[in-house]
This record gives sequence, C-alpha cells and structure tokens, in this order.
Amino acid sequence: MSEDRSRILDLLAGGKITAEEAERLLDALETRTSAAAEPAGPAITGDPEPLIAALPKYLYVKVLAANGDNVDVKIPIVLVRSGLKLTSLIPPLAMDKINDTMSEHGMSVDFNNFKPEDIDELIGGLRDMEVNVDAKNGDTVRVYCA
Amino acid sequence: MKVPPMILDLTVASSHRRPVHLWLPLFLLWPLALVLGALALVLAIVADGVLSALGRRYHHYTVLLVRSSAALGETRGMVVRFSNQKTAVDMTVQ
Repeated sequence: MSEDRSRILDLLAGGKITAEEAERLLDALETRTSAAAEPAGPAITGDPEPLIAALPKYLYVKVLAANGDNVDVKIPIVLVRSGLKLTSLIPPLAMDKINDTMSEHGMSVDFNNFKPEDIDELIGGLRDMEVNVDAKNGDTVRVYCA
Repeated sequence: MKVPPMILDLTVASSHRRPVHLWLPLFLLWPLALVLGALALVLAIVADGVLSALGRRYHHYTVLLVRSSAALGETRGMVVRFSNQKTAVDMTVQ
C-alpha cells in the first residue's frame, strides 16, 4: 500500500474526512498514479482540507443557443457516479428498451457492459475532461468539471 | 451520513409577469417518502425472494430500490437554469 493511500485511510479512520471525501481522494490518487509519465507527488501531510477542496465536485453543462435559449446545469459528481452504478441494476427488459431508444437516437452505448471498475475510471476521466463545441450557427456547448 | 435534499428553490421569471419565487420544503415529504419507501422495500424483498425461488437471473429489485434512494439523496447541490428571451427558470436543490 502506498504512503498516500495509507494516509488517506488513516484520515478516514480518524474521522477527519468522510467516506465520500476519502473515495474522491483515492480516485484522484489512482488517476495520478495511472499517469505513468508523471512522477509521484509528495505524500499527503498536514491539513487535508485544501486537497479536498481542490477536487472537482460538480459536472457543468452550459448550452448557449444562438436563438437566445440558454441552459445551465450543475450536477454533483457523486450523483453521476450513483447514476452510472445504478445502470448495472436496471432490469434487463428495461435496459434493452433504453439501449434500443438510445441507438435510435444515434447513441450506441450498451450499459450492460458497464462494470464498476469502468465507472470509477470514467468518473476519474470526467474530472480531467473539458468539451467545448462552437457550432456554425452560433450555438456553444461547454461541459467540464470544477 | 448523506442528508437527503431539504429544499427545492424554484424561481420563474417572465417578461410580462412578476417573478415567482417558490421555496419548497422537501423535508416535509420525508415522512411520507419513508412510509412509501418501507412499503416498496417489503414488496421488493418479496419480489426478489419469489424471483430467486423461480430461478430467475434478475432478482435485484431491493438493491435497485436502496441505491435509487441513495442517488436521490445525492441530488443536493444540483442546479438547473433555463432562460430564453421571455422566460427564465432557476431550480436549485439544497
């Protein structure tokens, strides 16, 4: 077990951080260690609050349409995670209907293939993701985590 | 401990009407949700038991119900804003 991981678990055991915060820290740690090119960062010492505060907590979706329609959505990342984890529990009949409807609309995502480890990886990836779309008609879409 | 959403703050503004600001106390629905949830939980457990006894592969309605409730509790902090030239809607779950 790495020193960082051990430190996070100690903080959790000591009641200094919640299970949710520990999960986010461990996710961030896994994301960092999976980037092999980057050298390992220093061990977590002292007050964990700044580190926790630095983790993105929300997924933002902002749509600015040229015709004046604007949509701005802020979704807690924990909700995204829970939602994705729920997909593995949806009854097969309902899931088939969802997959069919999605493929009819051009989105060929098969939620049956989602595994818990894929979800963790997906959430980790979301934190570094930023999507910027500028359409010819002036519509803009921004998706990012902060 | 995860605290379920307590307040739904809803603002609807229109160009030809006064803005409406609704402060919906979701916590008042908790007792009702608790009763309905308990009933649904009993039904789910029975359904899962029957499906399992029948040898069906899918018998996870209880887990689905529990995790759905947990996901509902994680909606706190969600914000949805929509606006066009005539109307603006702002919904915040607190």
